[in-house]
Amino acid sequence: MTTDQTAINLIKVDSLEARGIVKRFPGVLANDHIDFEVHAGEVHSLLGENGAGKSTLMKILYGMYQPDEGEILVNGKVVRIRSPLDAMSHGIGMVHQHFMLVPTLTVTENIALGLPSSRKVLLDLDVVARRIEELAAIYHLQINPKAPVWQLSVGEQQRVEILKVLYRGASVLILDEPTAVLTPQEVDGLFKTLHKMVAQGHALVFISHKLWEVMALSNRVTVLHTGRMVGELPIEEADERKLASMMVGRDFLMRVDHPEVEMGEVHLELKGIRALGESGLESLKGVDLRIRSGEILGLAGVSGNGQRDLAEVIAGLRPPTAGEVFMEGVDVTGWTPAKLLEHGLSYIPEARMVDGTVGDFSVSENLIMKDHTYPPYADGIFMNFKNIAKESKRLVETFDIKTPSIATPIKNLSGGNIQKLILAREISRGPRVLVAAQPTRGLDIRATEYVRRRITEQREKGVTTLLISEDLDEILSLSDRIAVIFEGEIMGVVDRDDATFENLGLMMGGRKMETEE
Amino acid sequence: MRYKLEKRPVQNPWLQTLAVFIGLAAALGVSCLLIISAGANVGEALTAIFNGSFGDWDALAETLVQATPLIFCGMAIVIAFRARVWNIGAEGQFFAGAMVAILVAMNLSFLPRPLLIFAIILGAMVGGAIWGGIPGFLKARFNANEIITTVMMNYIIMFFLSYLLSSVWREPGHFFLQTARIPGAAQLPVVASGTRLHFGFILSLISGLFAYLLLWKTPLGYEIRAVGINPVAAQYKGISIKKITILTMIISGAIAGLAGGSEVTGLHFRLRLDISTGYGYTGIIIALLGRLHPVGVIIAAIFFGALVNGSTSMQIITGVPVALVYCVEAIVLIFVLSADIISRYRIRRVRDVK
Repeated sequence: MTTDQTAINLIKVDSLEARGIVKRFPGVLANDHIDFEVHAGEVHSLLGENGAGKSTLMKILYGMYQPDEGEILVNGKVVRIRSPLDAMSHGIGMVHQHFMLVPTLTVTENIALGLPSSRKVLLDLDVVARRIEELAAIYHLQINPKAPVWQLSVGEQQRVEILKVLYRGASVLILDEPTAVLTPQEVDGLFKTLHKMVAQGHALVFISHKLWEVMALSNRVTVLHTGRMVGELPIEEADERKLASMMVGRDFLMRVDHPEVEMGEVHLELKGIRALGESGLESLKGVDLRIRSGEILGLAGVSGNGQRDLAEVIAGLRPPTAGEVFMEGVDVTGWTPAKLLEHGLSYIPEARMVDGTVGDFSVSENLIMKDHTYPPYADGIFMNFKNIAKESKRLVETFDIKTPSIATPIKNLSGGNIQKLILAREISRGPRVLVAAQPTRGLDIRATEYVRRRITEQREKGVTTLLISEDLDEILSLSDRIAVIFEGEIMGVVDRDDATFENLGLMMGGRKMETEE
Repeated sequence: MRYKLEKRPVQNPWLQTLAVFIGLAAALGVSCLLIISAGANVGEALTAIFNGSFGDWDALAETLVQATPLIFCGMAIVIAFRARVWNIGAEGQFFAGAMVAILVAMNLSFLPRPLLIFAIILGAMVGGAIWGGIPGFLKARFNANEIITTVMMNYIIMFFLSYLLSSVWREPGHFFLQTARIPGAAQLPVVASGTRLHFGFILSLISGLFAYLLLWKTPLGYEIRAVGINPVAAQYKGISIKKITILTMIISGAIAGLAGGSEVTGLHFRLRLDISTGYGYTGIIIALLGRLHPVGVIIAAIFFGALVNGSTSMQIITGVPVALVYCVEAIVLIFVLSADIISRYRIRRVRDVK
């Protein structure tokens, strides 16, 4: 350091190993005896669906969680990693999916943040900037060190995150779904950088659920499913099909009772729907779907591929930038949520506490939401509390909602009962089109069965249902047809009888299928 | 073994009520220190405040006179804050209401008295509604931060009024910045003879009843509360947040405007710049102390009215300056709100898990 002011001290790591890692959260075994190792000069990918335990394992390696069992070895020696700071001192760095940058500071300031200055109490930003430029040249990470972060594109911000980790001398880099936020061109650039890093002797852990990326980048792949290791194999022995069925778990299918139902007209149709997501990037890239009355169309896909935005477009909450929505043949594009609800749409949103209910409102206040301005709940200017109480009691009973009273604030209810309440509210309105997003996420088995039965009942009543779920079992047991969404595009639509874990897994990993439509 | 501070999963209403009293007691304690530091006898000072505010009918009536604008402004704030619309502009809406009331009183005095008073009340509400509705519209249409716009609107109307009072509205031939006295027919009737307690107090109670019915008995109030607690869910269920924002600001502004109309036609009979001692801002304190509930607002407003009223006696008898009472108001707010927040938490002993 004293002789060469611009050198980065690389903390050399030849191998990072995790042995028999177990991590429990209340009610969940997130990691069940996982073994994982990565060596200098290789990319080891970690593949799995949501909830497979990828992020938990990485957070343990990075010191954000402590394992309940198992040990971590760096260069063959057992170490305890108590915090991210510990991890950094062992040469382990992480590039988070959600960037941790201060938007108003420059690239240089962000990278220097929290590090001692080479000039003691004086800032050494010019020194830092020079080092950043050197690093950027080595790893193909073009960046202007003087630019404030808020001016940078998402791809550039990611470069800053990577530089931040490299600057701190990390030789193991954990990349948590780094391509999720990038455009295809930016992905190419990132891959060039990653190849360069491997050539320089870094060890990379690449977390993804995209099959082609894993195939293109890795030397080795470990597949996780529901917290357990499905297997580890060198890339030469892997192909997309094999990885797909490993990722979704098993080869056998559980089918539930699915009586024949006469299907009618197309009652929900999406034509070329495009929309921008929360980050301002295009999250839906021309979605076409047609669902008939009496039909449940299951929309499968790994989360964050546009499902939520699609549901919001249908519910009138997100304006599409192109395309049309037809309900029962009527063009309803651009209608307000209120108008759509009156037209017979019911929507069960995925975040039931955030989008679905008002926590401080009572059970009955939540049950009447949307219909609160009409008889029998309101007459003239006042609300009719007698009718509200009567109807609430009836719904609480029919839908088996466990609550001390109808005046109890809903935030005191369990998740299953809150979901039953939402279901009661949405179904009792007699919808003709139902959009159900992750209707059983986080529910116990009994509540799950209950919710699924209620949704199937709607099908028999001729309701047109779009079921959005990350739970393949749910999709397979409820749907008549299954569509798979990947990065805002429909990869294909298959009949329930033609669905296999292999073809669904391939589509979920980004492979387009030829389908009948 | 260690201790952990955690949020109570279920709030205990008794504990929250108790917290208010503990907060008040603590505030009283600190206030006594202030009285002592001002060189007075605590017992004497407190007795003077109490006798001056509740000691006899006259004192009580004057306390209610002081409480009237606070009840109005508190209600205005309750309605806005329930929708999580941060109306800091009740002060400006107060003056907008007062200005329209003066216009009506001066120009329509030929009307029969009941009709004239009705027109004054309506005019005051319209004035406040417009002054509140503008920031409401700006928020709904351009997402302009209502905290900033409502405060700015306060300045606009104060300087505009100041200009009017120094020019066209100034009482002819007089030095002070004030309008002429309004005719007797335009003055709100006194409701307790021999005191200054006027019809505005009754109106303020009606505004409280209105706020209660609106918020808890009508679909619109339901939507206001839903938007305030969870705007996302409200929107998902078809409630238009823009519509609620504008309506809430209009209603809130109308009530604050009525406060101005009531003060100017019930108490001062002319418009000056000092007819409000910051009622619009004190209304925020009142609303928060009253837990955003009309009944709480009335209690808090009478309490503050009593402090202001009683402080005059305190100054006369003990020489402690009236300004002390404004300190006390702030101290009460800090302690009661702190006690309220603390009551939402509990300390639990946890065993370390090996």
